[in-house]
Amino acid sequence: MSQSYTVTAVAVVVVATVLVGGFGLRISRTTSDFYVASRTVRPGLNAAAISGEYLSAASFLGIAGLLLLHGPDMLWYPVGYTAGYLVLLIFVAAPLRRSGAYTLPDFAEGRLESRPARRVVSALVVGAGWLYLVPQLQGAGLTLEILTGAPNWFGAVLVALVVVVAVAAGGMRSITFVQAFQYWLKLTALLVPAIFLLLAWQGDGRPPIDFDLTEMSSRADHPMYATYGLIVSTFLGTMGLPHVVVRFYTSPNGRAARRTTVGVLALIGGFYLLPPVYGALGRLYAPALDLGTDADAAVLLLPDLVIGGTAGDLLGALVAGGAFAAFLSTASGLTMAVAGVLTQDVLPSRGVRHFRLATLLAILVPLGGSLLVSGMPVADAVVMAFAVSASSFCPLLVLGIWWRRLTPPGAIAGLLLGGGSALVAIVITVSGAVRSGWPHALLAWPAVWSVPVGFLAMILVSLATRSRIPSGTKAAMTRFHLPEALVPGARGGPR
Amino acid sequence: MTGAALAVLIVLGPLLLAGGYVLGRRTGRGRPDRTSDVGTPVEHATFETLHTASLAAPPLRAGLTEESAGKAARRLRSLLGTDALCLTDRDRVLAWDGLGEHHGKHVMDHVQTLLASGRGTAFPSGCRDLDCPLRWGVAAPLTVDHRVLGTLVAYAPRESAVLARAAGEVARWVSVQLELAELDRSRTQLIEAEIKALRAQISPHFIFNSLAAIASFVRTDPGRARELLLEFADFTRYSFRRHGDFTTLADELHSIDQYLALVRARFGDRLSVTLQVAPEVLPVAMPFLCLQPLVENAVKHGLEGKITMSHITISALDAGSEAEVVIEDDGVGMDPERLRRILRGEGGLSTGIGLLNVDERLRQVYGDDYGLVIETGVGAGMRIAVRIPKYRAGVHGT
Amino acid sequence: MTAESAPKREVVTGEPRRVRPLPRYRAQAEIDEQTALGDAYVRSLMRGQLRAGLTAFALLATVVGTLPLAFAALEDPTVVWVVLGVAAYPLLTLLAWWYVRRVERNERDFARLVKGRPLP
Repeated sequence: MSQSYTVTAVAVVVVATVLVGGFGLRISRTTSDFYVASRTVRPGLNAAAISGEYLSAASFLGIAGLLLLHGPDMLWYPVGYTAGYLVLLIFVAAPLRRSGAYTLPDFAEGRLESRPARRVVSALVVGAGWLYLVPQLQGAGLTLEILTGAPNWFGAVLVALVVVVAVAAGGMRSITFVQAFQYWLKLTALLVPAIFLLLAWQGDGRPPIDFDLTEMSSRADHPMYATYGLIVSTFLGTMGLPHVVVRFYTSPNGRAARRTTVGVLALIGGFYLLPPVYGALGRLYAPALDLGTDADAAVLLLPDLVIGGTAGDLLGALVAGGAFAAFLSTASGLTMAVAGVLTQDVLPSRGVRHFRLATLLAILVPLGGSLLVSGMPVADAVVMAFAVSASSFCPLLVLGIWWRRLTPPGAIAGLLLGGGSALVAIVITVSGAVRSGWPHALLAWPAVWSVPVGFLAMILVSLATRSRIPSGTKAAMTRFHLPEALVPGARGGPR
Repeated sequence: MTGAALAVLIVLGPLLLAGGYVLGRRTGRGRPDRTSDVGTPVEHATFETLHTASLAAPPLRAGLTEESAGKAARRLRSLLGTDALCLTDRDRVLAWDGLGEHHGKHVMDHVQTLLASGRGTAFPSGCRDLDCPLRWGVAAPLTVDHRVLGTLVAYAPRESAVLARAAGEVARWVSVQLELAELDRSRTQLIEAEIKALRAQISPHFIFNSLAAIASFVRTDPGRARELLLEFADFTRYSFRRHGDFTTLADELHSIDQYLALVRARFGDRLSVTLQVAPEVLPVAMPFLCLQPLVENAVKHGLEGKITMSHITISALDAGSEAEVVIEDDGVGMDPERLRRILRGEGGLSTGIGLLNVDERLRQVYGDDYGLVIETGVGAGMRIAVRIPKYRAGVHGT
Repeated sequence: MTAESAPKREVVTGEPRRVRPLPRYRAQAEIDEQTALGDAYVRSLMRGQLRAGLTAFALLATVVGTLPLAFAALEDPTVVWVVLGVAAYPLLTLLAWWYVRRVERNERDFARLVKGRPLP
């Protein structure tokens, strides 16, 4: 495949990202459009931004790769990534927005009136964010390696560099437009080649696609348990992902946050119709790819394998650009979310300069991690971040929003026991200490047991420390649940 | 100042007293033959203590001053039953009650470690006069919000664990009273600041000029006059609204928009404005009327003594966990020294009250790290930067 | 104004006021006073919203919980492709849309109840 096309496509994506980030502000020069410029973000735009930030390397490359290797059971991944938003909508979206919190630590502090609880949440947010960043950077390394022959570390360093430079140079002053742009870019980058691939398949006389399950390598000793582990972590973990939470702040109110979430469901659902096409056609045209993590590259190589020629090169370059958009958008969103928590809760003094320093810290650690640890499928690595989030933030948010008897000690106990145990299980899995049998299954898909642990610890310890129920609980509940129409001064409410 | 904390303290105070009362009764009941309707000696002692404490409370509610300390010290000494009692702030002795006032000049030396550490301490008085009964002293910190405001020092003829404990408890009780005082003060300050802001904002001049400008359009362009009148009504309604101290950046910008429309009605094309907004910072909650005085300042500087065009840029950008708002004009600027004086509150009433007021309120809500940062020079225009955290517990935009 | 003649600017900030920032948990009681809504009202609203949420969640959990078992019993990959690859997304979006409609109606009813207004 022609490298120059690919390099051009990646360069265009990088430049466009930086430009939209730096100049994607609303500007008005006359008072008549002043009002338009200062109008809050509509649910449609915000939904595209959230989707753009959310659709990561795991979605863009990982799903097709897993389908290729392990068959249709892997379709639970995209379903889980989508359904997570339904659970978020049902239990969290509007109240979280009404709480006014920008990050999860903000929510914990505002709801529980406790600095220690805030600190525990901060630590977990940083941990989950880093866990999620590692596979993004690894995916970037893999992509560039396969497409241009660059060394494996190069892609990761490039993504890290672009993110740091964009933030440090005062870019990303408006991230909403960047992320919305990335969504449409990613959709186009998968949709257009998919249409051509399907046409080519049609032209070949529609050869049947082999679904024989016996041929597929099973990736777990207990596939049914693994499926349930995947379902629990993705369904319940989405609501606590740091880069997802901060994007909801952009909604003007709780009602808009709900509508935004429905938009997100529709947009990412639409996107997820595409990776299976690549997975299925990959089974047919690229069986040679059946080798470990390189299956993640199926999406990138298919246009060249199936169509070939200049058209194949151009389509391949389009896919490569889309893949890079996926790394960049998720990596920049996560980095900024983690950096926000670092500036507020870890680094001593505050200020815009410190935010830049924090950005550096936020991406350097996972960059180191991505260079040290390798060989894990991107989609699997991402699910681990979901598991931590599902076992710690999901109980905190759900109980914090719906249960008046939650206390700071209860919340801390649940966060540490649920999130902590999931984190430990993942570290053991990644270290490779346990490789088979039930112990491996339980540790590699911890959510099935760690989510109940988190909930139970939070509930039981809260009940045991009744005297510590925060004094502002009643007021907080009122704020979370009261419709905007009844709040004086609220946008859309009485003035 | 927080209503919730105040309410908690107000509720807790009587609860503690009631608890002490019940405890007193229980102890009294422990001896059945002594039970009587007119009270046991223990109960009487409790009443006495409560009464003395209630007398010491009102002066302390005025804060820790020489006057309040003098009044309170007498009550507190009788509460502790010591020979001498002294109250200090961080720098000097505020009141001495009882014997041996000559010890007063050494007190500050004895409490230095306490002021630094915030922990109670005891010391020999080291008095050379052998007849002086004050041989030993115990000092306890008076703290508000973990800051040591001063000390309470009690003297006795010899070391006494009971007095050490009692002094500590009394100091804690005084601290609660001082906390209440601070609550009262902050609350008044806040209300004053708000009112000052409103007055600085809606000056009679502005109202007069706006109405005059609107009137000038009534004949020539009735449609525009009607529009402007609506803007004016909206603007004043926002500025005079009474609920809550906080608003959102979007609402504040909207009000600025209306303000600028009214200004333009007077000055027409002499003023041009560029607005840059990152829409994700629009929902940020912030203190009410914090940007508008800055824009008014920029308009004033831009048009002052200038016949040519004046340009103002307002930008609100995303900076991670904060929003950064910058208001810049190319007007006459200001002498930095004069601006420093204004920000110290020494500028007199004539100018810059808007800047000072905004600076004060931002610091009050977000802390000293969040004051205004202004770049200016004579003839160099002015650039004012404001940082607003996206979330601060207790700051809600509605 | 040209670059040479541009007078220099200096950075000026106010002196640290050492004012105590307002306590962090300030406005909570205030909201209580402002809305002056009885606790009972909010509780009943929460119950209604939670019921809607739990209904949607129970539906989702039942279907999703049984699907892997059903797929294992059927052993037909095409069904898995069709259900998870295509049908799941519109169904999820529809469920979300139903939920939003229902809770928004709850909120409207609640607002009417609190304001004591009759049906329009």
